[in-house]
Amino acid sequence: MKKIAIFALAILLVGNVVFASGSQETAKAPKALKVMLSEEPSSEDALLNTLKEWASETGNTLDVMVIPYEDQLTKFPLMARNKDLPDLIATTRLARLYPDEFADLSKNIDISIFEPMAVEIIVDSYATKKIANILPQQFTITNVFYNKDAFDRVGLSAPTVDDPWSFEELAANAKLLQEKGGVKYGMAMDSSRARYDNLMYANGGSMVEKRGESFAVTINSPQNIATLEEFVRWNNSFMPKAIWAGGTTDNPADYFKNGDVGIYFSGTWNYNSFYTQIKNINWGVMPSPVGSAGPSAILGGSGLAVPVNAKNKDLAVDFLKWFYTKENFQNYLNRDKGLSSLVGVTYSPADKQVAEDYKILQSEVAKVTKAFSVDESSLWRNYYDNEYRDAMRQAVNGDISPAKALNDFAALLSKKSSWPLKY
Amino acid sequence: MKTHHAKRHVVAFWLFIAPCLILFSVFFLLPLILSVGFSFTNYDGWKTMDFIGLSNYGELIKDIKFYQALGRTFGYTLFSLPFKVIVPLLIALLLCSKRVAIKSLGRTMVYIPSLLSSLVVGITINWMFSAEYGLVNYIIQSSGGTPLEWALNPRLATFVISFASNWASTGFYMVIFIGGINNIPADLYEAASIDGSSGLQTFFHITIPMLAPTTFLVTLLSTVNLLKEYALVQGITQGGPGLNTTFIIQFIFDKGFNQMQYGYASAISLLVMIIFALIAYFQFKLSNGGEQK
Repeated sequence: MKKIAIFALAILLVGNVVFASGSQETAKAPKALKVMLSEEPSSEDALLNTLKEWASETGNTLDVMVIPYEDQLTKFPLMARNKDLPDLIATTRLARLYPDEFADLSKNIDISIFEPMAVEIIVDSYATKKIANILPQQFTITNVFYNKDAFDRVGLSAPTVDDPWSFEELAANAKLLQEKGGVKYGMAMDSSRARYDNLMYANGGSMVEKRGESFAVTINSPQNIATLEEFVRWNNSFMPKAIWAGGTTDNPADYFKNGDVGIYFSGTWNYNSFYTQIKNINWGVMPSPVGSAGPSAILGGSGLAVPVNAKNKDLAVDFLKWFYTKENFQNYLNRDKGLSSLVGVTYSPADKQVAEDYKILQSEVAKVTKAFSVDESSLWRNYYDNEYRDAMRQAVNGDISPAKALNDFAALLSKKSSWPLKY
Repeated sequence: MKTHHAKRHVVAFWLFIAPCLILFSVFFLLPLILSVGFSFTNYDGWKTMDFIGLSNYGELIKDIKFYQALGRTFGYTLFSLPFKVIVPLLIALLLCSKRVAIKSLGRTMVYIPSLLSSLVVGITINWMFSAEYGLVNYIIQSSGGTPLEWALNPRLATFVISFASNWASTGFYMVIFIGGINNIPADLYEAASIDGSSGLQTFFHITIPMLAPTTFLVTLLSTVNLLKEYALVQGITQGGPGLNTTFIIQFIFDKGFNQMQYGYASAISLLVMIIFALIAYFQFKLSNGGEQK
């Protein structure tokens, strides 16, 4: 009996040691967080460095995969179908296109910690369904950069927040810069509809208008046609036409970095890379110009989403809880030098010039128009985003008139969406 | 009653063709069947897939952009095809000539671009032909000329793609031609020489006719590859300026993967496949498959 008792005790002790250490190992076992990004991150990439910091703090590892923005539409459905999904995705549109495939993160993170505007723009599903299948990460806004050296050469002062340029002043100054400012192009603009659409909104135009619970197509309104006609003239006069005509893969940001552009319409996401990379010219940020109906800026940004069928979904949520603490988000923002999407957290640059620029960037947020919000809520982009781009390209290249480009596109959008045409 | 030997022979036959049959079925037959099925639906690549009969085909025959893209594709193919055949043939002749030294090095140098991915070819060509910072425009400007608008002039943009395509494929077709040239019996040339045939006469009356099957193969492969040009276009012009270099494969890709009209894209693909097959058939008939009549 004594032998049995000793044997049982020994078994118990051994068992305790084995199972206790086993459970400890389970609790501490590092896991790999599979993260999907839309472009190859640089060494200064704010999100990647924040992820690395989390991994180092928690002992977990990162498995970063890059699927370019253009390929995500084809790759993500295949990944979802094969249940071979990343745990965390930094995306601008996947959660909007495939809302059911992403977990409702409002159950894990309090949505009230985010700036309401960031939620409205990035978390499409929250206003209508109170579901947050994506959380704001990088909150961006369109803005205008300028080449200080070129401005100095022609004796031009940059506009101020209180006294912005009109479109007429912008065009005249861009011409002046091209003629006498030592730059090849007076002005350049990313080949993105969001940049062009600012001109449309500032001139009182819109893509659609609200009609009860539905919409009507207004993209071919007279003021929109006039705006596109003016934009074509700008391209023929002082812009690198090939960018908008679509015959090149060049990025106008490179033209600006090389000092070949006087005024460059882009967005806040470029600020950090310009700050670290541009050494050969002096540059700055200026408020965006004002059209006949007022100013316009377009908010956007990417968010972080967790696929419902991700293998390490809980780990991704753990990261998000860590990321959205004030301290960690502040560190991220300091790296990103962007706008904050978290209430009570702001970027406070030590560099005086950066602080001045940041004030101008922040002032752009108030310029977001109601028309833009209505257009966004229609989700028209889900229908014919590329057709719109093609229409613009053909108009800028002179293959078709601006009126034909917009009339044809309006007809297509109307047919696909079943929204009536207003014009 | 089959003998044991005959049965073994049949089993061996199936074992030999099985790898090819499986690959052909998985990568060609199955997608083809799926594509036929999708073309009768409004499949969006995700969850919507309703049978809509011949609606996609009805829409397709009225789609002016489809005809424009197809027309551009034929124009590009007709423009590029002569270079695809003649340039490798001449290089192959040169690199088979007894008068040329370091033939192996020459062949290797010409062949290297064939090993590059379309992406690398695109980057290299952009480096050369970029309107802003390209090497060619730099040379033109340095020589006092006016830089060319490679990205804005539709003809120049088409030329750049054609140049890139030729540069990347010349080595491959050169190797095929070298094989053909080496298979021409030497005694034919000896006889021609004894008969006093000049170099040009020998080329046109012996080399060209004897290379007919090879030339047919190169022509057929080049035609199909030109009609299917995609990656280079994406890497160099992205279909622009305007839509002037948007060929039929870009058009299909855009409908399917960007606009998520998989059903419609499948209908276009099927029609285009039939058109391409007909082109190949007529090429075969016209040249008698490269055989002497």
